[in-house]
Amino acid sequence: MSAALENLENQLELFVENVRQVKIIVSDFQPQGQSVLNQKINSIVQGLQEIDKLKSQVQEVHVPLEVFDYIDEGRNPQLYTKDCMEKALNKNEQVKGKIDSYRKFRAHLLEELSQVFPNETMKYRTARGDDVNRIQ
Amino acid sequence: MSESFTIQVADSLRRFEPNSPRSSPRGNRSPVVPRQQDSTGTLKTTISLGKTPTIVHTGPFYLHKELPGDADLTGATNLMAHYNLEHSYNKFSGKKFKDSLSSFLPGLPGMIDTPGNTDNSSLRSIIEKPPIGGKDLAFLNSSQLAGFRLHPGPLPEQYQISSMAPQKKKQKHKKHKKSSEISVQEPGIGLAGPGVGVVGEGGAGSGGESYEKKHKKQKRHEDEKDRKKKKKEKKKKKQKHSPEHPGASASLATNSNSNPPGMMPLL
Repeated sequence: MSAALENLENQLELFVENVRQVKIIVSDFQPQGQSVLNQKINSIVQGLQEIDKLKSQVQEVHVPLEVFDYIDEGRNPQLYTKDCMEKALNKNEQVKGKIDSYRKFRAHLLEELSQVFPNETMKYRTARGDDVNRIQ
Repeated sequence: MSESFTIQVADSLRRFEPNSPRSSPRGNRSPVVPRQQDSTGTLKTTISLGKTPTIVHTGPFYLHKELPGDADLTGATNLMAHYNLEHSYNKFSGKKFKDSLSSFLPGLPGMIDTPGNTDNSSLRSIIEKPPIGGKDLAFLNSSQLAGFRLHPGPLPEQYQISSMAPQKKKQKHKKHKKSSEISVQEPGIGLAGPGVGVVGEGGAGSGGESYEKKHKKQKRHEDEKDRKKKKKEKKKKKQKHSPEHPGASASLATNSNSNPPGMMPLL
């Protein structure tokens, strides 16, 4: 997969270079440059053909749409990856905090209930069976 | 008299219609049944109606249900470590990425940092309105290439500026640096201006780079000297105005003779 992406990248770079050269020729056109311009136009068509051949090799590559928003804003797409990882880590921490809070609350609640309703709490614990160890 | 007659008629009608709402003591309203709350807590089954009617078996306590099974992967685990992404995370969080697209694609020519909405070159527009494709890409023959015959001469100015804009910005920055370096250097070393300018404009050789480095070091050294001088001047000013300074204490002593102790004249 990485080889296919490298090939595609190289082809795109060659294509962009061809277009840049056409731009230079056209920006200050001379009559003797007509044949060169024609060759460059055909090389652009060839570049498009090569890129079209490579599309089958990158069919399985999926790109999130949010990356396109970053590119359209002129931002570095690596920032998207960085932002995603930071969001994932923050969410992970949040959820872990919630789980830990609920566990502490459950332990505290059972402790208080066992003081106020000792018989009922024992019945509950025996009904739960293995959960007695979790509480402690 | 007429009212009592109508009541009698209504009563008689009620008697002859036992199944109608009129025969019930509350009329057509539903009967009131007192809710008997189950205080023993021994309700073992509940029937829930609705879209998916189910029978929920409860235990010895109200709403006593079976716990869901323990999931292997929860938010309590470090998911970055679980999916072997720690290295990637450290790489992305440690590096400082520049915000511009041109820092990610330095080889691309032209202005790529501008938003795509301004010149209708956004990727979103391609997704929303994909171009017509599926046709063969064929080379152009001579008759088709005849359409690309151009007039000789340069492009109009408006098209030239749009293509040259990013390069011009870099040149301005370099010129500004060169001019500041030349102005600082001349009194120190005493080299000729045009000679320096030629070396600076050349720019590509290693001699030019080491010259610039030396110049930067000299500038920094001079800046530090200036800062130290300013700090010393500030300290001297503070000491003059402070009561601990011998010069200041003398002036205070002259003032205190005229005023009572602990009192300063109000200005």
